[in-house]
Amino acid sequence: MPSGDELIELVRAVALASDRGAFAVLFKHFAPRIKAYLVRAGTASELAEELAQETMIAVWRKAALFDPARAQLSTWVFTIARNLRVDALRRRHDAQADGSMDSNANPDAEPLVQAVHDAPQPDEQLAGARREAAVRRALQQLAPEQLQILWLSFYDEQSHARIASELDVPLGTVKSRIRLAVGHLRRLLQGTEP
Amino acid sequence: MIAHHPSDDLLLRAAAGTLDAGAAIVVGAHLESCSACRTHVRAFESVGGAMLESIEPALMAPEALARTLAMIDTPPVARSAAPTRLPRPELPSGVNWPRSLADCAVSRWHWMGPGMRWSRVTVPHTTDANVFLLRIGAGKALANHTHSGLELTHVMCGSFHDGRALFAAGDFDAADGSVHHQPVLESGGECICLASVEGRLVFDSAIARMIGSLVGI
Repeated sequence: MPSGDELIELVRAVALASDRGAFAVLFKHFAPRIKAYLVRAGTASELAEELAQETMIAVWRKAALFDPARAQLSTWVFTIARNLRVDALRRRHDAQADGSMDSNANPDAEPLVQAVHDAPQPDEQLAGARREAAVRRALQQLAPEQLQILWLSFYDEQSHARIASELDVPLGTVKSRIRLAVGHLRRLLQGTEP
Repeated sequence: MIAHHPSDDLLLRAAAGTLDAGAAIVVGAHLESCSACRTHVRAFESVGGAMLESIEPALMAPEALARTLAMIDTPPVARSAAPTRLPRPELPSGVNWPRSLADCAVSRWHWMGPGMRWSRVTVPHTTDANVFLLRIGAGKALANHTHSGLELTHVMCGSFHDGRALFAAGDFDAADGSVHHQPVLESGGECICLASVEGRLVFDSAIARMIGSLVGI
């Protein structure tokens, strides 16, 4: 498995030299993870496969925009996959609602959180990577069960219900465990803030 | 100084992309004006990044890489001419539209009472988002009401007091059925709020009910 620094070098090679070999390594690393995330978030396997490919195409096209000083690569890839998932959900909702194909879809439209990302304040930009490192350290301090429950919040309500039945606990318990884990993470992060 | 922020739960859902369309717009408007909450959302996004790293990878179809490599050769579809300008009613000078409304059509201001106007926000790709703007003159009061679903509010300008607290530009509020309030505008100037409602609003008086039905909520 390539290291974090190696992955960043690969993205740079894609950005500077349209290096297809570098892209292939990135694809093999990220695409199966993106698909796994999307499936866990309730996306049908076929669509998840398609969105994982779309995410990687976006990585190819936007490689020059990735700034390792602002975010970790996996976080950047996650936000791309998340935005494509939200778009796909809305488009599917549209098609179900009126049985017609979506006419307003703008494939270049940036969903909100991404748009916020593209225009960071200078101080936020500087602090981005440092803050992310703090988050990663804080996550390492969480108990495995708490980390597990935190991942759950990235999957949809249906998955929460499925996990609740798997663990044989009420849905409310899953939700309150997520709240506890988030609170714990928040407290760990507060300790690291200047 | 922003005093009221979305809960951790809402910020986490914003980062995870699991908010419904209406909530995403109102929380998004707050994020644009609040760097503290942007910081928290970024922290939650890096939780998403860490999740991606530690997840058990799924199996991709054997031809997936070849297919993707073929697609990166195809140039992206050119944007069709200039983007169509979506309708926007006028705003007081110095007040800007949140970027989270960029894809939405916003109706003209409709009269709903002396010094009270509202406008419907049409959210693309969704039929169940109840998003609207309220524009209330200084010193006016809304009807006393409670909420059957969760109502999220972002104050775009002006300020009001609803008996619980003072809300001013940039502030965010989440009110559910446990909140029974009557927002009263401060004297400083008119107030414009962007709001999203999950259920149907429950007003106390018949007139307010009529206004509620006019607003379509």
